[in-house]
Amino acid sequence: MASSSSIALPGQLLGPASKFQPGPGTHIHQSNLYSSLLGVVHISQPAKAPGPTKRLTKITPAPAPAELPTVSVSRSGVSEKREVLPEVGNTVLCRVIRITPRQAVVAILICGDTVLHAEWQGLIRVQDVRATEKDKVKIYESFRPGDIVRAEVISLGDQANFYLSTARNELGVLLATSEAGNNMFPVNWKEYQDPETGVSEPRKVARPY
Amino acid sequence: MTDRRRINGPVGATIPLVFEDVEDYEQVATKAARSRAPNAVRKMYLKTGVTPSASGSAYLEIETSGKGGVSGLKLSCTVYGPRSLPRSSPFSPHIILSTHVKYAPFATKQRRGYLRDPAERDLGSHLEAALRGAIIADRWPKSGVDIIVSIIEGDQDRETSKTQGDEAWDIMNALSGCITVASAALADAGIDCVDTVAGGVAALVRDTADSSPSIVVDPIPSEHEKILASCCVAYLPTRNEVTNLWYKGDLPASDMELYTKLVEKGIQASTNANRVLLECLGETVN
Amino acid sequence: MASTQHALLSPAELAYLHAALSLTPPIRPDGRSPAQFRPLVAETGILPGTNGSARICFADGTEAIVGVKAEVERTRGGYEGEIVEGGGAEEVVTDVNDEEKKGESDWVEMTVEIPGLRDDDATTAFLGAMISEALLADGGFSRRLWINRRFHWKLYLDILLISPPLSYPLPLLSLTTHLALLATRLPRLKSEGDEDPFFDDDWAAARYLYPRNKKDGKTTARPPVTLLVMAVGNNIIFDPAKEELAVADVALAVSIGEDATTAATATGDDASLMMDVDSTTAAAAITSARNLRLLSIRTIDPPSRLTPSGVPNATNTAYGAATTQKQPEARTAEAEAVEGVWRAPRGGAKPLVMAALVHKVLEKGGIADEVLDALHAVDLG
Repeated sequence: MASSSSIALPGQLLGPASKFQPGPGTHIHQSNLYSSLLGVVHISQPAKAPGPTKRLTKITPAPAPAELPTVSVSRSGVSEKREVLPEVGNTVLCRVIRITPRQAVVAILICGDTVLHAEWQGLIRVQDVRATEKDKVKIYESFRPGDIVRAEVISLGDQANFYLSTARNELGVLLATSEAGNNMFPVNWKEYQDPETGVSEPRKVARPY
Repeated sequence: MTDRRRINGPVGATIPLVFEDVEDYEQVATKAARSRAPNAVRKMYLKTGVTPSASGSAYLEIETSGKGGVSGLKLSCTVYGPRSLPRSSPFSPHIILSTHVKYAPFATKQRRGYLRDPAERDLGSHLEAALRGAIIADRWPKSGVDIIVSIIEGDQDRETSKTQGDEAWDIMNALSGCITVASAALADAGIDCVDTVAGGVAALVRDTADSSPSIVVDPIPSEHEKILASCCVAYLPTRNEVTNLWYKGDLPASDMELYTKLVEKGIQASTNANRVLLECLGETVN
Repeated sequence: MASTQHALLSPAELAYLHAALSLTPPIRPDGRSPAQFRPLVAETGILPGTNGSARICFADGTEAIVGVKAEVERTRGGYEGEIVEGGGAEEVVTDVNDEEKKGESDWVEMTVEIPGLRDDDATTAFLGAMISEALLADGGFSRRLWINRRFHWKLYLDILLISPPLSYPLPLLSLTTHLALLATRLPRLKSEGDEDPFFDDDWAAARYLYPRNKKDGKTTARPPVTLLVMAVGNNIIFDPAKEELAVADVALAVSIGEDATTAATATGDDASLMMDVDSTTAAAAITSARNLRLLSIRTIDPPSRLTPSGVPNATNTAYGAATTQKQPEARTAEAEAVEGVWRAPRGGAKPLVMAALVHKVLEKGGIADEVLDALHAVDLG
């Protein structure tokens, strides 16, 4: 997707703002686009750009009426360590830490396809667990501590938490452990089953891809 | 108050006699001269990625002035973050910078303690002001970054007596080094910056008691008879902007020209440091 | 830092303030002219237990007290051998010329206390360093504390902000310190030469740290003053309030001092001699005689960098912008600045702007002159 690539340093001129759209890792100063990161320059053509570029989306630019090529600077290839901030619309993988009747507190582990180094905390509120019959949702019938959950970021949230939602079919618990301590497999949209004891436990199950 | 927990020395302590060696004295007198041109900065070495566990790190070393027993400046900077803020802190739409500058206990002639003293805190707030102008704070809402600079070796001449060198002037050189090294570490950590910021120092000095004052860049205080004024500038070269300016000294207010020149030279020193910084960052990528 | 005290203003308010302050002439929220200071009440000598004290109260309710205490301390590194009476080579030198009187910076200890801030807070350290830096800039101040070659005065300056910091407290603290030092008196020395110091008990005979003219009771030399200056757009604004600082492009703290020697000659015979020649030139000579010194400049990190940015209508989904993104809360894309929409400033200030700020303070008949004139008028009691 990158039609050309080269190295950019912070503060390096990338081109006029009238010819390019600013992507991640760039900023505008006096009608010119400058790099704001040390990394590799990618120029993606608009035809391909609106695709799910979940690589390092710090900023998702709103497509302008005139479709301009997007220029971005990414850290991939420069450093293994790259930190991304979970952003509204991103799909994240997280582990449930604790549950209360109103919400499940999770630790976000992977954002997009980037493993996070820092610990970001997320919150799945009871009304965000599923899209239908929201009033009948019970957190303890949806998540248990230790579950690995696929969720979507819906808000930057408050000072401590990102707000997450699992209100889609493909979102929900991916991996669950039974009370006996065995890994379970999903049997339907709301149940996991222990292969050894045969006991099934309620969960908000993610549809397998 | 007497210290009763330890065994104390006798009360009427005397100071041991110090005999001044005539030869040594002359040597010190001849040493105190600047060998570089007024516009020349000392050579520096900069490398990023020296601390694997940190998000970003850099190490800066400034050459000694070429005489034995004189330590150069050695700085190491580590950047941790961006990471989530502690639970107690309120929501912030921006990245929260916290800068710590610490002299190693053995970095200066006089030993420093482990706790940060007011001078070090002050350096930290200068560094914060310099970096805050360079980073794009709203790219990282509700996150914080810790920037820790350790001064492993301060820029102090061991040979000079305590009365000769004034630490107040050394601190300017230390700050300019801190700014440069922190800027490299921030770029290494992948935190969005508008430009690379680097520090530079210029001073108005008098070499002998009766000579006219002149402006030099990157001064070593012990090389000059008296420093009249000094300024440390943090400068963004592509934007032509100053993020931090610290001037100290005693200049007649009627002579604005002198002040302007001093700042100009500071910017020049900063531009020189920036060239090293850019080259170092280029090497990091390749 | 300055940024720790947020003025709680919305992006719209910030944009309005910024626009008002960028006009020519600027319109300040409290109606002052760009170079006008807030009114203040000042008094000195309020604490009888100190060597010198002062209190200043700003009209907005911020108030500071400074107390100065002095103690006699043995000079480190000074020779501590006994002065042998009649000892051949060890002659007691009674007249020490001024060159030899050398002070050290640790003869002054300054503490700043601001309610609601920890002692080790960066702001406190920054303020303390800034005020003491100006005081010690030329080494002239610590020279005043010299008693003899073995002893010196150790001066403790305790700066207390009584009210919560409603605005950036630097100018207030600096002015209060200035007045307290002017009012500071040290007991008259009775002993001579390098013998152990022995002082006059009579407080009325105590000498001022900054000596005064016999005739008008005004001092000749004066301690430094630190002024806060900021720039918004093309305007330079003095003594900014908290709200004004919240939209500053750049803020500087400039410390100025007054050179004693030339000021003394101007108030002395030279001026009156000139008067006979030509009154106009004499008047010019007096104003130019104030020999200002530039002692220190520091950049204050403007809190404007940490203000929330506004969202222009063009990208605001609530105003019918292209809702290609499902979530209204998605991060605003990098875009050009839009007129009338507040954006937290990025980067620093142009060197020319900084130079203009300093120039405005220091120019003849400029703000520095005005402030010093005003301080002259304070009754030192």
